[in-house]
Order: sequence, then C-alpha cells, then structure tokens
Amino acid sequence: MTISSNSQTQPMALEDMVVLDLTDEKGMYVGKMLADMGARVTIVEPPEGHPARHIGPFYQDKPDPNNSLLFWYNSTNKESITLDITTAKGVQLMKEMVKKADVVLESFQPGYLDSLGLGYETLSKINPRLIMTSLTLFGQTGPYRDLKGSDLVSMAMGGPMASSGYDTLPDSPPMCCDGWIGYATGCNFAVIGTMTAVLYRDMTDQGQWVDVSIHEALSCTTEAAMPNWFFDRKVPMRQTGRHHGLTPTPSTQYVSSDGKLVNGFDIPPRSLDRWNRLVEWMDEKGMAEGLKDDKYRELISQGVRNGPEMDFLRDRITEFIASQTADDIYHGGQKIRLAWAVIRSPEENLDDEHFRDDRGFFPQVEHPELGKSFAYPGAPAIFSRTPWQMRRRPPLLGEDNEKFFSDDMGLSQDELVILRESRVI
Amino acid sequence: MTKPLPLEGIRVLDFTHIVAGPQCTRILGDMGAQVIKVEQGQAMDVTRSAMLGGIGGIPGPNRSGMFEYFNRSKLGITVNALMPAGLELIKRLVGVSDIVIENFSSRVLERWGLSYEEQCELKKDIIYVSITGFGHIGRYRDYSTWGPTAQALSGLTFMSGLPGERPAGWGYSFLDHTAGYNAAIATLMALHHRNRTGEGQWLDVSQVESGMVLTGPAVLDYTVNGRPYRRAGNPPGNRSTHPRVAPHNTYRCAGDDEIVSGEPRRRWCAISIFTEEDWGNFCVAIGSPAWTNDPKFSSNVDRILNEDELDRLIEEWTIDKMPHEVMYRLQSAGIAAGAVQTNEDKIVRDPQLRSREFIQKVVHREINEPFETDSLPIKFSHTEGAKIRQASPPLGADNEYVLKEILGMSDEEITEMAEQAVF
Repeated sequence: MTISSNSQTQPMALEDMVVLDLTDEKGMYVGKMLADMGARVTIVEPPEGHPARHIGPFYQDKPDPNNSLLFWYNSTNKESITLDITTAKGVQLMKEMVKKADVVLESFQPGYLDSLGLGYETLSKINPRLIMTSLTLFGQTGPYRDLKGSDLVSMAMGGPMASSGYDTLPDSPPMCCDGWIGYATGCNFAVIGTMTAVLYRDMTDQGQWVDVSIHEALSCTTEAAMPNWFFDRKVPMRQTGRHHGLTPTPSTQYVSSDGKLVNGFDIPPRSLDRWNRLVEWMDEKGMAEGLKDDKYRELISQGVRNGPEMDFLRDRITEFIASQTADDIYHGGQKIRLAWAVIRSPEENLDDEHFRDDRGFFPQVEHPELGKSFAYPGAPAIFSRTPWQMRRRPPLLGEDNEKFFSDDMGLSQDELVILRESRVI
Repeated sequence: MTKPLPLEGIRVLDFTHIVAGPQCTRILGDMGAQVIKVEQGQAMDVTRSAMLGGIGGIPGPNRSGMFEYFNRSKLGITVNALMPAGLELIKRLVGVSDIVIENFSSRVLERWGLSYEEQCELKKDIIYVSITGFGHIGRYRDYSTWGPTAQALSGLTFMSGLPGERPAGWGYSFLDHTAGYNAAIATLMALHHRNRTGEGQWLDVSQVESGMVLTGPAVLDYTVNGRPYRRAGNPPGNRSTHPRVAPHNTYRCAGDDEIVSGEPRRRWCAISIFTEEDWGNFCVAIGSPAWTNDPKFSSNVDRILNEDELDRLIEEWTIDKMPHEVMYRLQSAGIAAGAVQTNEDKIVRDPQLRSREFIQKVVHREINEPFETDSLPIKFSHTEGAKIRQASPPLGADNEYVLKEILGMSDEEITEMAEQAVF
C-alpha cells in the first residue's frame, strides 16, 4: 500500500515521534502534518468512526466511513485504531498507550477529557515527558471557553470575514472562504506549539500542555486590520478580491479574452522599468497607441496613483488584458516582473507543470482496496534532506487494531475478541 | 531559576521583509530564538515606509504600525550586502547562526555567494529557509507573488464568494501569514532533525503551495470523483456544503453606531445549525415564531430545499439586534453563533481575547511609551513562551550589540566599517 517516487530509505524529520491523535474535524490537519513528515500518528477513533468520516465529499458520492475525502486528505500516513474512551476499559487502555507516546493531540470541548479521567494532569503523571496539544475554538480558559462554533463562526469572530467580501455589491455579506480554512489556521499554530514543546522537552525532559485557540489564531491572521486599530483606531472596508482599505482602491480583477478572471496587481506599474516593458509588450500587440508619451513616464516616476491620467492608463490596460488569454496575461506579466495571476479553481493546478512536474506537488496515492490511485496535494515545503513522503494512504476504520493492540500492546487474541464484542474497540 | 524559553540558544539570521518572512521569524523570536533582522539603510524593509505610518502621529521609518506589528521580538541591524566589507560581515554572521531565513526573489542569495552549499561551508549544519511565491525549484522560480497573486493561483480566492458572482477572495494577504506559518513549521521540524542527527538542510517554501495544501478535499473531489470545484453554485457563499446543513449563513443585524471611523455600517452575525437538536433549541431561543412550525422547515432536508426562505425569516429576527446580542442569545441556548467581528470589536470588546492576555502591552523602542498589540495564539503550561519579548527594532538599533557581543568586534573595527558606509 505504499507508493512514492521518494526513496523509502531517506530519513524523515519526525521519525522518532509517536503521536496519539484524538482530534475531530477541527484538528485532524495537525496530525497529518506530523505524519507526513515521519511521525507515527495513530488516530484513536470511536468505534463508529471519526466525525470527519461522516462528512463529504465521498468517494463516488457514497457515504461510508471509508469514503470521506475530507477524512482521506487529512489522514494520509496515519494509522487507525478504534477505542471508546468513554468506557472504563477505554480509559485504562488510553492510560497504557500514553506511556509510550510523545504527543497526544485532541480538540474536544475544554474539560471533556478531564471528565473522562484523561486530562493533562492525569496523563502527565503517567508520562511526565508527554506533550498534550489541545486545539479548541476559544482555548481552555476565559469566558468564551464553552461556546459552540463552526469554521464559519471562527472566521466571523476572528476577523478574516470583516475584511473579506464585496465593495461592488451593496449591503452584501462578509465572506468566509469555503474549505475549513479557519480550522486549518488553528492547526498550523497547533503544529508550531507541538514542535516547540518537543524541542523544549528534548532540552529539559519536561513535557507540557499546549493550549491553542482557533479564535486567537485567526485574530492574528488579518494582516493590517489589527495594526489599523492599534495604531490608527480605524476599521478597514471590504473590497472585492483585494486588500481591505481605509480608503477605496481600484479593482484588481480583470476579464481576459477567454472569459477568465485575472488578478492584476500594481496597475499601472509603479516602477518605471516595468511600465516601459509593459508598454513594449502592449506595443507588440498593437495596443500601445498614445501610451509612449513622456507625460506618463513622468507621472509614474513621480509616484502618482490617482487622477484622470491614471484612470486612462488603467482603462487601456484593462482593454489590453481583455484582448489576450488569461494564460498569456499571467505569463507575459510575470516575465516583466508583474505579479499577475489567473484566478484558478483548486483543481486547475493539477495541469501546472511547475507544481506538478518540477516540484512533484501532486503524488499519486494508491488505494489498493479500490484498485485505484489518485493524485493528492502534496508537500507544504521541499525539505532537502528529510523530504515529505507519502508512505501510506489514509487508513480504513480500525485498520490497525490488530497490529496496535496485539503486537504493540501485547493483548491476547481472546482479549481482542472481548474488546470487540463489548464495543470498546 | 527562570525556565529557559523553548528556542533559547537558537540564533536566526533574518533577511526577510514585508509580511511572509517577518511573520515566520516573529514566531521564532516570540519562542525565544535570537532573531537578527538584517536590513540595509538604503533598502530597508518597505513596511517601514509604506502602508501604515506614524505611531504617535509622527511619520518615520521607526514609526510604522505595520513594521511594528510584524517585527517584534527581533534585533535589528543594518548591513550593506552590496559592499564587500558588508558581505564579509554577513558571512561571519552566517557562521555563527543556526538558521538563515530570507524571502528575497529566488536568485538574490546566490548572487551574494550565499547559496545553500556556500552557507554550509560557513556553517556545516545550517538550516536555510527560503520563502518565495513559487519556490526556488522549478521553471517559474523567477515569478513573483504578493498575497493576492498566490491566493488567486492556489484556488483560495475562487473558494470565497457568493454563487453566481465574481469571487470575493480574501481582503488581505492571508497567504503571507500562512506561508510564514508553514516556514516556521518546517524550520521547527528541521531543528528537531538537526538536534537528533547533526544534519542541517535547505527548506524551500512556496507561498502558492502554502495555499494549495489547504484545498485538499476540493482537489480530491476532482481527482477521485471527476467533479471540478469550478461549477454552478460554487463557491457556496457562507452556506455549508460539507456537511450540507441549514441554516448556516451570515445574517444582517442592526448597524453599529459605535464605530468611530467612517459611516455606521451594516453588522452581521454567523449562525451554524448542525443537528435537529440544534434546530429545536434555536427555534426556542428566537421565541418560537409560527413559521418555525411550518413542515417545510421540519427536517434538515426540508430546510435545505427551502433555504432562501429560511434565511430570510431568520434575518427578520436578527435585523433589529446587535450582532453580539444575537450571538449571546443563541450561544446561551447552545447554538454555534458568532458576531462578524471587526478589528475594533476584537480589541475593544472581546472579553475572551483580553482574559487570555492575547493582547499585550509593549514599550516602543524609540518613543519609550507602551502600546498594545496581539500575541501568539499558543499557551504553554511549563515554559515561558509565546510572549512578546521586545518591541520591533528601530533601524540599525542593535548594530553595536550584534557586532560587539556576538561577533566580538572592536570599536576600531566598527568605526572603520562605519566610515566605509557598511551600515
């Protein structure tokens, strides 16, 4: 079931790390990032399956615990065991498992694990070197710690939405990006916190509890909005497809000849060199008439951004973009160092030779039980010595019960049968 | 004895500028690494002069709110890398550093004679982190991005917006932040590997890929099921497609007169209902108006089939209430609801952020007065950490400390270099 163009003999950065992953859909990306870099991450699922196994999209649109693509993507390189931690036997087994673990990941409501007798206090007595990372909506403390939420609610309260939306549609809502991006931002910080705690433990032998708040993670992920208030007491306004602003700025979305949207930037260019090269390019296409006037060079050199001349230049560039295909505009712009881009749907990167071929971003992952393999998005970064590796497809529900409970924990076949029949695993 | 900071003893040579790179080194600095930010007097970080300006009402390179926000917990030095003596100085600093991080365009360090291989000659186990739009490897390595460029290519712009409209995308450089997080994650993992094996390495971070990794389920829906994300109905606005539940949206609330900048503006509250139990509690919380008993809203499927009408009816309830009033009323019934909070809301009236000391005070290094800023969203039980250690450095403020205390240079050497305008 392994795949990979990567050599299996290459070392992995986290190959010494043992992780028990109790997270739900909020936190499963944390364990994926660790597993993809070599950690042994075991998902501890309730016998009916991890919550994400019940969320789509599904393989062939057939809801089934083994068919969730949300689960697939976020569970690469992980193992799966089932264990009902709400039972006394489940609690006992968890306590045993924690002895050999470096990290426990969890994203329950604050206080829940404690109520089962599996809180940090208890687990750290069993294994003082243990790191427990708790990723929650609002953190373990404070007046909001028990509030309910969703990815949308997180994006609303944390601030990304106040900055994102339309200036072109009156009275239109602030927008939340589809695809669990709010939770993923919390997950990024949970990995940062976990890795930092691991480095600290390696230095001091002291484990600890890492408390990560999704609300805070998003609250510091809004670029200029926070300094806008801290230093200027101003609230920026939403603008379609571009930076929020204290004052309105011109649109950056342009339509190309093939009807696609292009994200323009720096139009007209602030740099005289780029302006000259843009005019040359437009001239090649017979669309630079009147633009070679020194008047424009002077205004651009002076840093003028507004006024009738700049509006005129923007109109001419808009016409130029409208006369070319989106790809020609993207690559042509980039060749003269203008950071222009096509607005792509995620799957449209599958054909991009830079990402696909040169950087190997889309590894094929074999699902032997389906007799198929599929391209997955790959490495968040290229590591020269310990590369990201796709060692194993996401696990089937409870796929590793046998190996984990009998080989690793030494339970007998009889015990396994009893655990199964009493629905503990 | 005070406990060590988690990254104490780690030295980072930081050539980053604007947001993506400084975001990464700010995290490492908050965690206790000694971060030495290298700027050139002539080519200082542009956020010093652009975007926001004028802490205390006075413009200047040391008064930019934007620079202040992204460069705390760092030392600041100025060195002109284009002069041989300056480059020599930089190479000496590489030799005593654990990590080099930069987000120049992809050929700058090579041009300085500081490719990864050349850095290894100066420091055998160096960890070199490059952050660019497309990465240093690949045919488009010379292409450049700002946040919105990377967001457009990654798919994240397209995934945000109302169905049938142009994408709204993100109102800021989300992928500047996220590329910085990604780079920090990679750096910490590489440090772990180095601590175990003594091996450094090169980490090539691409801003576009930092967004592409967040689109996994949408990409799989295409590679597995052949269903493109670009199709009628996408993006879904603030409704939920996975899981497909209703109601799940943002709702108009009463305007907010307290906003001091600009006009009073429309306020919004997000509400997410996932289960029938949620729905029952929601109906009671809004006073059980007659329509909530209508069979066309009696199950999730019915609510989805009548979602436009459902959202309109819910908005009749929210429209005359402040967003926080809606949020508190629903949350006390166990419903996921949250005000769409502005920067002002978060800083002025969010009791959660205050109670967790997410917002902290630091003393500005030039005007010597305290100001407020936010901090890392991580709390550790056993270490100091995630604490703002110092405000951002005025231009060249730590030249003397770094040259004398770290490189052991004499006053004479420093004066000689100053005369050559190395700083």
